Amino acid sequence: MFIRTDDKITATQTAIFLNNTLLGAGVLTLPRSVSKSVGTPDGWISTLLGGAIVMLVVLLMVKISQQFPGKTVFQYSRLLTGRFIGGILSMLLILYFITIAGFEIRTLAEVTLFFLLEGTPIWAVILPFLWLSTYLVYGGINSIARVYTIVFPISIMILLISFVLSLRMFDIDNLRPVLGKGWSPVFAGLKSTVLVFTGCEVTMTLVAFMDDPKKAVKAMLGGLAILMSIYFLTIIIVIGGISIDSAITSTWPTIDLLRSFEVPGFFFERLEFPFMVIWLMQMFCNFSSFFFQSTLGLSQIFKLKVHPIIYALVPLLFISAMLPKSLGDLFALGDTIGKMGLVLFLLVPVLLSVVWLIRVKGLKQHV
Amino acid sequence: MCRRILVVLCSLLILATLTSCWSSKEIEDLALYAGLALDVGEFSATEQELEDKGATYYKKNKITATVQMVPANSVGGTDKQGGSSGSSPPYMNVTGTGDSVLEIFRQYSILRERPIIGHHLKVIVISSELLKQQRINQLMDFVLRDNDIRPSTMVFISQGRAADTMVAKQKNEIPAFHIRDMLRNQKRTSKVLDPVILSKMDANMHSKRSYALQNLVTANGEVEFSGAGVIKGDTGHWVGPLNQEETECLSWLTNGGQSGVIKTYDWSNEPITYELKSMKSKITAKADGGELSFDVKLVTEGRLSETWNVEEYPAATHLPQKAEELFKERLEGMMKSMLHKLQSDYKADVGGFSTRLSIQEPALWNKLEDHWDEVFSRTPIHVTVDLKITDFGSFTQ
Repeated sequence: MFIRTDDKITATQTAIFLNNTLLGAGVLTLPRSVSKSVGTPDGWISTLLGGAIVMLVVLLMVKISQQFPGKTVFQYSRLLTGRFIGGILSMLLILYFITIAGFEIRTLAEVTLFFLLEGTPIWAVILPFLWLSTYLVYGGINSIARVYTIVFPISIMILLISFVLSLRMFDIDNLRPVLGKGWSPVFAGLKSTVLVFTGCEVTMTLVAFMDDPKKAVKAMLGGLAILMSIYFLTIIIVIGGISIDSAITSTWPTIDLLRSFEVPGFFFERLEFPFMVIWLMQMFCNFSSFFFQSTLGLSQIFKLKVHPIIYALVPLLFISAMLPKSLGDLFALGDTIGKMGLVLFLLVPVLLSVVWLIRVKGLKQHV
Repeated sequence: MCRRILVVLCSLLILATLTSCWSSKEIEDLALYAGLALDVGEFSATEQELEDKGATYYKKNKITATVQMVPANSVGGTDKQGGSSGSSPPYMNVTGTGDSVLEIFRQYSILRERPIIGHHLKVIVISSELLKQQRINQLMDFVLRDNDIRPSTMVFISQGRAADTMVAKQKNEIPAFHIRDMLRNQKRTSKVLDPVILSKMDANMHSKRSYALQNLVTANGEVEFSGAGVIKGDTGHWVGPLNQEETECLSWLTNGGQSGVIKTYDWSNEPITYELKSMKSKITAKADGGELSFDVKLVTEGRLSETWNVEEYPAATHLPQKAEELFKERLEGMMKSMLHKLQSDYKADVGGFSTRLSIQEPALWNKLEDHWDEVFSRTPIHVTVDLKITDFGSFTQ
């Protein structure tokens, strides 16, 4: 039996898709934000806790999506809550995705300009990525998933190589004492660790594209588990390498860890350059995901063809990327996105699940 | 046809987006600097003359920064052209005086033709005199913020002017690289401390912890690693030196050194020398009813490598214990005098006692954290040494 499945992705591809959507700038900034809010070396516990919470959230998202096979959140939210409310919810989601997309590509540009291409105008960095992404999104979810499957092992490999080589900086004392000030700092850290998982709302559209939606729970939780272990490893290596005091003062602590040592005689003496070049691909993946999600949403809400919308969104995304005036603005935007994520979580999956429970289980309606 | 023209036009348009070498700079046109020395503001002869002619700007002359530039081709190592240029050394020092490190750096641009870049900065030397006047946080601020300078840069202190450490006696030597390469000798002596790199210093400054920086002394064009300088965490000022033995003890105490020798005089007052094969230190914090104290346990094994006592070889029958006893006393004495200096004279905990306390007694540490150096200075520290002579070199006794 041979079926052409152009617009379907396998469970493995889904896991990688989710992982590549979320894994990006967080690796560069998480050690700082989490150390700042925790204040003790216990950031790694917060990361594990945060990951566990997000897994529950995603589980809810998958469950509600599985009730509507082949339909994305943009479609089933109208079925459940009606044209008007569903439309508003979808528009909020799209706005959220566009903001994240802008945030991701701007972060990418800021790191590149600071460490790699000092003096290059910012638009010259953003535009090529934007165009390339347009081309990728034009190909639909299948081509995106294929690109991710290629990028994923490369970026994970370079990340692991960098971490292994930074073990020379590692000192277990930097990670002790464990729970020296009790559990309250750990909970305070949750607000920054949950933030690195923002964008997990894409789950609610991804399930619709799976060739076997029954495997959705496994795929999504698998993707999140990879993500969580990478963040966990990042915290351990960076805090263990440069201690929380140095991580708090540094803008990009992970890069600063790689800049803290030289490997004479190795193929690269300075690891930050290969690492950043590869990591740009990862951040490009983040951006493409959210770009794809917003075009998908717009075309499904307004029942338009997807290709003109892709082109129409390019200038909008560029503006969204250029809106923050400074690095401070950018990080503030990152926090705002985290709060938006929280509100959207309450609004979309929770509200939809409640409505679904009332209508289907309570009133025995057929939606 | 129309479509084909459109395609060609689009391709041409895409050509314009190839921005690959936008902000590239040729390495030959840049001046890489490998060393930086910071001193108390004092004009060089050239600067004085320029100043007299009115070539100055709005500033207070608080610091003098000396930058050691190396030609791009000497970074790679072998240099064929070096032979023809003959007598000139492979580096060039440029000096500027002012009160902002960055401004002084930019001032070099109106003095030399090539812009300086900090990607290859290896060594920063600060004079202890300057650190009495300025906080280290002020001096290092620019260096920590800059995007070129790597956090792997090592920081040292100099007794006397720091600029003098940036002058080489040997012809083909670059002083900054020389200082960096000296660290290889950690295998042979513990008088060379673990280097304090910028990211570690950043952490110390943020947590207001005291720390020791390796001290450089120059004489007759030679640079020696001699002792260390103690920087107090809360003020960021230099408070005093540690001599060579104390520095050695400090690296043993912090598990930073596994090597070195202990020399003492035996029963006939002849020198007798012990060479370390291993050294482990363990600090234990004890809080009995609110009374805080530390136990330091040093465990070392080594070899009796030299004795001038030709009458009575120490290995003979009962003597190894006697020799062990002598070395033990000496090591304990050295440790105690170092700790005494830290506690009474400097009131600065550079031995990592605070880290131990925070790990072993986190609750107590949270209470003492704010005035730690004060508490440290009156906390009793007990030192016990476990020393074992395992062999006598290629002599049997």
